[in-house]
Amino acid sequence: MAHATPQGVKLLNGWKRPGRFDKGLGAQLPEAYRKFWREWKLTTPAAVHYIPKEQQWERDEVTHAIKPVQNIPLPLIDTPESHRGIWGGEAVIKGFQKREQTKRRVPHFWVPNLRRSVVHSHVLDCYMSVVVTERTLEQIHECHGFDHYLLKNRACDLRSALALKLKREVLQALQNGVPALADEPERQQEVLKEYRRYLEPYTPEEIDWYGHTYLEAIRKLQKQLREAEKVVPHKLEFRGKLIEQLRQAGISEAGKLEKPDALAAESSVEHKDSDIEALTKLESSPSSSWLSKINPFGKKET
Amino acid sequence: MLKNIYVTPLNLLKSATSLQQQVRTTFVLKRKYDPPLHKTNEKPRRMRAKNFIYELVDDTLVKKRPNIEVVLKTFVEGVGDKGDVVSMKPHFVYNKLLLPGLAAYNTPENVAKYAKTEAEKSTVKHSSPYAQRTVNMLETIVLAVVMNKDEPWVLEPWHIKASLRKTGFYCREECITLPKERIEGPDLKKENKDFYCTVTINKLEQARLKCRLHHWSTDPSERLPYVLEHWKLQSEPLLDVCSPEKTP
Repeated sequence: MAHATPQGVKLLNGWKRPGRFDKGLGAQLPEAYRKFWREWKLTTPAAVHYIPKEQQWERDEVTHAIKPVQNIPLPLIDTPESHRGIWGGEAVIKGFQKREQTKRRVPHFWVPNLRRSVVHSHVLDCYMSVVVTERTLEQIHECHGFDHYLLKNRACDLRSALALKLKREVLQALQNGVPALADEPERQQEVLKEYRRYLEPYTPEEIDWYGHTYLEAIRKLQKQLREAEKVVPHKLEFRGKLIEQLRQAGISEAGKLEKPDALAAESSVEHKDSDIEALTKLESSPSSSWLSKINPFGKKET
Repeated sequence: MLKNIYVTPLNLLKSATSLQQQVRTTFVLKRKYDPPLHKTNEKPRRMRAKNFIYELVDDTLVKKRPNIEVVLKTFVEGVGDKGDVVSMKPHFVYNKLLLPGLAAYNTPENVAKYAKTEAEKSTVKHSSPYAQRTVNMLETIVLAVVMNKDEPWVLEPWHIKASLRKTGFYCREECITLPKERIEGPDLKKENKDFYCTVTINKLEQARLKCRLHHWSTDPSERLPYVLEHWKLQSEPLLDVCSPEKTP
């Protein structure tokens, strides 16, 4: 039955709606970007706003019935502001609060406590003013530096587009040998030695495609495709051919212009026989065209 | 077929773990009513509005954060000397030590890298982390040295010591170095004039102390008029008196 349907063998696992990587330009994105997308969007991040239960079974608090444990993460909202800062994995949570047992629930948004601070990147050798949370600073301290924090954490734990862009910059700088510290070779070697181990999981193509949002990746792909197939207008091609043909014709005409002068010189010496000789020469030469046969100056002199 | 209607009984006996906080914090939440169980390897079931009722479990912002240990790369006033491992509050460590590059995180490599060399250990430049702070305090004040207007006197270290104690500093007489020139009085031409002394701290650091000479009388009728906030006014240096050189 499956072979008779348009989807064919894909129906064996049930019908699936085509995703963003199955149609259109998304289908042409390289595997490197799909790997990053899986790391960023399809991986479950670490628990930030809830405490997961470790055991497999638990006893109910009231009825003491034993039931299995299922950890369902809280749905998080990534606001546009969170992609302009580094919130350390935190996000906004939309839900309800029940402040008193006998009163109805009220809607509530739990928002992280944000602050503006400075972070320092040793690999890029610059200071940046970003919006952070306390959790970000704590994680930077745990990882012993901002660069270590970016490179140790996965994309789903960083969550922020800004953090992922900075991570791509750091990886590219490490790949190129830390060009920001070219003036200090000793320090450059120290930084390379310290951070080189983070380059092993990535290939150069994966580093190139790391940290882009979907729209940015699509635009990058379009740019690459546009550069690959350079469409030249036909008129440029045809004009080039015509100019070449004219040059070839021009060269032969320049060669034939010498013959009338020679004929004119001969005619001045021998007046009587010049007519007959000129006519025979013109007729006998196979390369001459009809233009060279008409020589009004030769006839007029006789 | 009949639908599976999930009914959660009202649990009035559950323990109250909710923290009613009005402060926006790093928040840890818990569901008041768990969603129904789903089959293994299947997507979780669609949740109802009651499953989005959360209770605040933990408030990490009001917790006291543990100190951070760092290795100092250079002498830091009030903190320590090069190679010291200090444990301080996280915001101070981050904003004052790590960002300016005065310290590095406490790892064995950093401890070995920034340890003091033998040459640095032999030449001691700072007696204590806090001595420089005392030097800064002494060099910001203008010390009022009040002398008698009627009896003849010669300036001695104990006069400076008494004046320093009036401003809250305690030091011994041998720590004070006066100018080489002899300052005698009473001389009203020297009233409100400046001169400099040197105060030695821990026999190593030296502070240049600015002193201002004043005259005072025990007879109320012969006292000079009082100038309000006289230490903030400009004044001239004492003639023929130069500041003492700092002893090596």
